[in-house]
Formats: sequence, structure tokens, C-alpha cells
Amino acid sequence: MSASSGTVLAVSGGCPLLLLPRRGVDVLAARLWIEGGSRLDPPGQRGAHQLLAGLLSRGSGQHSGEALADLVEGCGAGLRCEAHEDHLVLSLKCAPDDAAELLPLLIEMVQQPWLSPDQLELERQLNLQTLQRQREDPFQCAHDALRELLYGQGPYGHDPLGVEAELRSIDQACLRRLVPGLGQQGAWLVLCGRLPDDAEALFSAAMQPGPWMVQPRPGDGVAELVSRVPSGCSSAGRRLACTAEDTEQLILMLGTSTVPLAHPDSLGLRLLSAHLGIGMSSRLFVSLREEHGLAYDVGIHAPARLGAAPFVFHLSSSSDRAEEACTRLLQEWERLISVPLSEAELSLAKAKFRGQEAMGRQTCGQIADRSALVLAHGLPADYPGTCLQQIDALDPGDLLKVAQTHLQAPCLSLCGPGEALRQARRAWERHPLSR
Amino acid sequence: MGTPEPVGPIRHSLANAVPVVLVERPEAPLVCIDFWCRAGSAAETPAESGIAHFLEHMVFKGSASLEPGGFDLRVEALGGSSNAATGFDDVHFHVLIPPEGAAEALELLLDLVLEPRLDPSEFQMERQVVLEELAQSEDQPEEMALQQLLELACPDHPYGEPILGRRQRLLEHDPARMAAFHSRTYGAGGCALVLSGAIGSRDWMTPLASSRLAALPALSVIAPPPALALQPGQERLSLPRLESARLLMAWQLPPANDLDAIVGCDLLTTLLAEGRRSRLVARLREELRLVESIDLDLHALEQGSLALLEAVCEPEQLPATRRAIEEVWVALMDEPVTAAEWSRTTRLVGNGHRFSLEAAGSVAALVGNQVLWDRPLDLEAPLRMMERWCPERIQRELLPLLAPSLCFSLEAVPA
Repeated sequence: MSASSGTVLAVSGGCPLLLLPRRGVDVLAARLWIEGGSRLDPPGQRGAHQLLAGLLSRGSGQHSGEALADLVEGCGAGLRCEAHEDHLVLSLKCAPDDAAELLPLLIEMVQQPWLSPDQLELERQLNLQTLQRQREDPFQCAHDALRELLYGQGPYGHDPLGVEAELRSIDQACLRRLVPGLGQQGAWLVLCGRLPDDAEALFSAAMQPGPWMVQPRPGDGVAELVSRVPSGCSSAGRRLACTAEDTEQLILMLGTSTVPLAHPDSLGLRLLSAHLGIGMSSRLFVSLREEHGLAYDVGIHAPARLGAAPFVFHLSSSSDRAEEACTRLLQEWERLISVPLSEAELSLAKAKFRGQEAMGRQTCGQIADRSALVLAHGLPADYPGTCLQQIDALDPGDLLKVAQTHLQAPCLSLCGPGEALRQARRAWERHPLSR
Repeated sequence: MGTPEPVGPIRHSLANAVPVVLVERPEAPLVCIDFWCRAGSAAETPAESGIAHFLEHMVFKGSASLEPGGFDLRVEALGGSSNAATGFDDVHFHVLIPPEGAAEALELLLDLVLEPRLDPSEFQMERQVVLEELAQSEDQPEEMALQQLLELACPDHPYGEPILGRRQRLLEHDPARMAAFHSRTYGAGGCALVLSGAIGSRDWMTPLASSRLAALPALSVIAPPPALALQPGQERLSLPRLESARLLMAWQLPPANDLDAIVGCDLLTTLLAEGRRSRLVARLREELRLVESIDLDLHALEQGSLALLEAVCEPEQLPATRRAIEEVWVALMDEPVTAAEWSRTTRLVGNGHRFSLEAAGSVAALVGNQVLWDRPLDLEAPLRMMERWCPERIQRELLPLLAPSLCFSLEAVPA
């Protein structure tokens, strides 16, 4: 393995450990990604994995929640445990000299969490309150409704924080049942920064009850991945959602579900999103903001997923321009699936793609995050380098084909005042994309 | 250790005394070019409300030699990105770019910032964008509550005015008024340039010596805005679309140029509200379980800093939340800080500072603020100054400034 993509070892029990030493920095960033995020919330227990993630740092092994916080904060370190759609993610950032004290906690929290009822109650209340407060944000409301259109009751159909009624009913026994599954579908450790000499041993020694058994991801290849992570059932052909809110602006989100990061077409989609949404010279920014003054905030949302990832245009515009905003947004989507990029647009998009790679590798934390994401999506550690070569080979015809394959029949989510909803709806119904 | 020690900032001066600071970070993949100017919203007259921020937008709409959008196209084709931020005291424009494109980007950025075109039709279009930005912030009830707090706590002071501006004033602005603001505030004596990250051994200063920046005329001396005098008080506000109640509190702290005090305030706010084991979080969220979150942030400002507290809770918990905050303050006034608590606090602040020196952009921001406001350039200074503080001195000199009787507090409840 080349120096730039690091060294891969395995800790006792099988979890791969990627070491990315970085000179001249006084930081250590550690990441533990475990497959199995909110996508695997059991039926009737949506929010269980986020609740579990939050509880990992509230007591484990010999440490009470207070003792854990005393240890971590006492070293001036930062620790976050959260559930994403596909993974539980534990992130630690500390001074390199504290590695021996803090790194073992990552293993202890996953192997021996207390899940004490008192702390569970606290964490549940915090998550319920966060869900409630999120409703203040009209972007969140539009996003929630779009997610329902795209994924319905499927694995990606809910916020990782959960669904209020179900979150209320989750008890300690529910969470206990999830713990043995951690690592059974794969887990990855990544360290970046000034590294301890004996990282492998530090982790292995922390496995007090015996090695933490981590299975390699079951099966290989994208076809297997796609079949194992279903896109879910979208809402029975419904393609428009209107959420009434008494706001100044109308929020528009237009999108569809596409492919996993490891799918061969994903690079093309990422290049398209660089073209559409990265920087002030991007297509959406120029055509909607610079030429028409329709928005302050306009862009694209296309996160990496193990399953059918969303690909979304978003725009927020004054209510009195709702019809124009909606029409122009639809025109941009239509253009994407009917007009190939010019050579100039393509080379600009490639420059941005490369620029983003450098931009996302400025701190140890960013490097560790990106590397963990690559491994956890079943890609080789040298993927960030090889994908730059692969995008060089893509031409406008390839990108148009990718767009036409994956971006047909988008769904539209609107959030705003009644009259603006009516106007935007009219624009939608008039447009061929709605049919 | 065998690791190269990062070199400290090196300060140069152009012929017109505009400072240029170079900070090399050997590990950084990118160069950050950061232009700073004392042209924040506090430099506006009342009639100019919002013009500092509006100008920040217009800067990207072309210069004498660059077409609108030409800058973004050029920089982004080189793999870079640019952005800007307007505060109360200052504004800065920054570009992050791979080293091979940095020299060109520097020339382009200076061109844009120092000679903005302010084309009338672009002006009309960008006004729409700024109004959209205003509408977007008005749709976030939390931002509305914070703006209300500042207006009430800082009456007759620029810090009480919205940086985005008042809608009516924005509608009245024209390119001539903006050009007047630009020539009054963007000049030698009020600006600085920082280059950080992968700057290597290139000679940056020779081209800069003959650049627009070196030819920038000196500003005439303008009286600074008045010192802040925060008015204590209390208000309650109903906000549509609010889901949880907010208790917002603002206190005045020493100004940003009192470095010693700012380091002490950083320690104090960390002790009170950073992490699960901090006083306020431990008491209000973990033990009493009154709040979803409680934050206390220090905003270092030139005319007087602000400490802003935000607690998110259910409306019926507001009185208990307020009481508990007061009790935490009283307890800290009366009881000693344990050695473990003090060690935790200093390590959190120290690491926070060290970690912020990793990315070229955050180094440039730190150094840019220092050089713009004539403060000593020293990346390690905050770490050394921490040594001058001990719990007793914090309790004696700074904690009294956070007395409940000295704050303005605003309760925002769902309408």
C-alpha cells in the first residue's frame, strides 16, 4: 500500500485499522465506523441506533458516564458518538500524548456499554426535544417531506433521530439486543495525525471480555450491496409534497434516489454535482442566483450512501416569486437530463472535483473522516487517488447517460405559505417532469 | 521528534504601511489568501444600514478589469474556492487554492476587493439576493430572537443593529452610496493581508510591492464607534414558528484588545459551559434536566466583547432554568474551583487553540484579526497568557462581570 493511502493493520478480533501518520501536527484524530446506522433501526423502533450511539459515551466498562466525561474532557479532548443512515460513527480528537488513555475507550464503549435506564431516559428526552426544535427550520420540514417521498417506510425513510412515538417506546432491552450486532457487518478504525507507536496493541488490550469480533462485510461487489441495502418503498407513486408554513420564503427541494457510492455510476453523479453545486461558478448558483436573483441559498445535496443515495437540488426563494423559482428549478433538472455538458463545463467540473479532494484533506479530522468513509463503503484505501484518474476519462456523453439513467422522474417537496405553494404547484403540474 | 516546527508568522510592510503577514504551514495542501478590512457594520452610518455586508456581495460582481463572475470562474478552474464574511468590526475575503494557482488568485482578489465595479444592473440583481438572505434569516425564529436580544441589550450602538441591514434601507441604497462607503473604509491604515498554508519559499513580497494594495491611499482618520455600554434588562417575546422556548442572556466583557482578559474570559466560559462536566451543562442538562442544551459563547469585539448564553427548554421551565443559572453563578462566586476542574478547563482551552492551528484558513483568520487590529502576532500567545490566570483571579476579576443583575435577558416563547 502506498504511503499516501496509509497502512492497514487489523486489531484483535479482525477490525481493520488504517494508520495515517501526519508530520508537523500536534493532533490525533480517531474514527470508528461501524456498519449499522438508522437504516437498521428495528421495526417500531425508529431512532434506536441514534439513542444507542448517544448512550455509548454515557457509561461503559469500569466507567460511569460521569467518569467517561471526566476522562475525555479532562484531557481537553472531543468525543462524538452518532448514528448516520448507514453507520454508527465514533469520533475522537485529542492531543497525541493522551492516546494511550483515550483510544481504548472506543473499544470499551462498543463492547461494554452500560445503557443505564437513567441515562437512557435523559438521552431520549434530549433526542425528542431536538426533533421538536428541528421543526422550527423550514429547510428541515421540506427535507423530511422529500425523504418520505423518496424512501417512504423504507430504511432511509426517517431521520436518524427517529420518530417521536416510537422513540418514546424504546427501552433498555431493545438497545441491548443491538449491541451484539455491532461489528457483525463490518467496522473500520482510522487514526490520523501524530500516532502512538503501539496503536494496534492499545486497541487489542482494551478488549477485556475477549476480542471484539468484527466480520468482514458480508459478500462483495456492488450488486450484492444494492440488493442488501434496498432503496425502500417510495410513497406509492406520489411525487409532490406540500407543507404549509407561515414563512417569508418558499423552500423547494427537487430530487430522486440514485446509487451507492461504490456503484460505477456514482463518480459521474459526483462530477455532475460538482458542476451543478460547487462554488460560485456552479450551474445552479449562476443560473438561479446570479442571473435571476432568485435565492441566497441554492445548491445540491448528494451525500454518500451504501444504498440508493439521494440527489437533490435545493432552493429557497421569496414567496412572491414561487412560480418563477419552481419553473426555473425544473428547467435546470430538465437540462441536466437532456443537454450534455460543454467541454468547458466538463473541465471546470473536473477542476472542482480535484479541488474538493484537497479542500477536504486539510485537517487530521477531515482526512480520517474521508478515509473511514471510503473503507466503510467497500472501496479500496487508495480510492481518493484512483478516482481522480477515473474522472479524467469521463466525457460529456458519459455524464448525460448517467443522468438519463438515474435522474428521471424526480420528486418535489415544497414548504412555505399557502399562496406560494399553489403557485409552485401550478408550475410543477404544467411541467413535463411531473408526468 | 523529527517533525518540522511550524514557523511563526512573519510580518512585512508595504510602502504605504499596509501589513502583509506570511505564515507557512508545511503540512497544508492549500494556500489561504485572506484580505482583512476594518469595514464591518459598525463602520456604517444609520443611513448605510447593511451596506458593509451588501458591499461584500458586490465585490464578487466584478472589478474594473474582471467581468462579473470572472473571478469565481478563474479561481474555481484552478481548483480553489472563495468566500467572505462581514462582522460588526471587520470584513474579510478569503481564497483557498492549490499553491500553483495562488499567485494569480492573489492578484485577482486584490483587484476585486480594491476596485469593485459596482455596476448598476448587477447592483439591482444582487440587492434581490441580499433581500433573499434577509428573508431566509427571518424564517429562522432562533435568529430573530438573537437579533432582538442584541437590539435590546445594545441600544444606540452598532452592535445592536443587524449586520444584514434593515429592509427599508437596503431598498434605498445605490452604487454611489456604496462607492462612498468603500472609499471611506477600504484604505491603507484600515486593512491587512495574510497568506498562510502551503506558501513555500516563493517571493510574495516583490509582486505585492508593485500591486494595487501597495498603491492604496491612506484613510483619513475616522473616529471609532462609541464604546459599548450594555443595558441590563429583561424582556419576553412571543415568536411564531418557535417550537421550544429560549432563554437568551447577554453580558458585556472587556474589549478584544485586552488580550489578557479575553484569555481569562475564554477560560471562564469554558469552565461554565464547555462539555458535559462544565458547571452549567452538568447542572441544568444532566442533573436537573431542565434544558435540551445550554451554550455560553464569547464574542471578542473591539468596542466591548459579549458573552451570549442560550438555553433551549420547554416554556414552563423558563423560571426554573433562570433560577438554576443564577445558582450556578452564586456557587462559583462562593466555592473554590477544584484542581481537576481547573486542569480540565485549561486543557480544553489549550487544545482548542492548538487544534485551530491545523488548517490554513483558521490560521489566517486568527492572524488576520491580530494584524488588522494592531495586536502582537504570536500564535502561542494565548497559551502563554493562560499561565497568568488561576481560579481565584477569574473569580475575583471576571466572574462578577457575569452577575445576573448585569445581563440583558430575553425569554422567547412559542406564539
